[in-house]
Amino acid sequence: MFKSLDVFKMSHAMAVHAGTRQAAISQNVANADTPGYRAQDVTPFAQFYNADDTPGSGRLKATRAGHIDALGGQLGGQERRPEQIPDPNDNAVSLELEMVKAVEVKRQHDRAVAVYKSHLGLLRTALGRG
Amino acid sequence: MNEFTKALTVSASGLKAQATRIRHLAENISNADTPGYRRKTVSFESEVGRDGRISEVQIGNLHLDQSPLNRVFDPSHPLADGSGHYESSNVNMMIEIADAREAQRSYEANLKMFDQARQMSSSLMELLRR
Repeated sequence: MFKSLDVFKMSHAMAVHAGTRQAAISQNVANADTPGYRAQDVTPFAQFYNADDTPGSGRLKATRAGHIDALGGQLGGQERRPEQIPDPNDNAVSLELEMVKAVEVKRQHDRAVAVYKSHLGLLRTALGRG
Repeated sequence: MNEFTKALTVSASGLKAQATRIRHLAENISNADTPGYRRKTVSFESEVGRDGRISEVQIGNLHLDQSPLNRVFDPSHPLADGSGHYESSNVNMMIEIADAREAQRSYEANLKMFDQARQMSSSLMELLRR
């Protein structure tokens, strides 16, 4: 645990991911009235984090797909975002959807910071400075 | 430039674009009774960011609405022609007000994204405080 500090690495990656997504959402909102603009998003965190294969990357270990649940590691209902119908000016940004995504990002970032803080507390306790 | 700076920059560009739009709308409304005034329309364009990823929004060229001017019957008006009509502006109050409301809504959305990015970055700063 004290050699590689995976929890710090993971919470760092999570905060970085939240920041990147926040920038993407800000871009969508800023372009909510630009003709011909299509909303963009980043890859989900789980995919983003596990895609990094390099040794020591802190990639999560997993049993083979379908080992525990027959659905191949997926929950039954895959989240599906409604297909955006473009406005008359060919802009396909839904402000409501962007607000929902913004709240998701805020919560993810807060979670990452909370995990980081709590782990920092753990290390402080181990050093006897509680 | 880190992700929060990008998010703040793109939100700021959105705020600026919407503010310019509101300014032109105000100009149209205040000139609703000016004879011969053509309403101004602004267009938004998505600017390709320097690093090729975040695209800020900017105001495109200003256009004058070329739809026919309103003909008002008022024989006592100094600009009235032989038939007693003069050409007023082609501003439609309903359109301007609806457009202003949309601009306001987009402005608020941008402001919310700006505030959220600020909160997220200040929560990171909180980590340094002890």
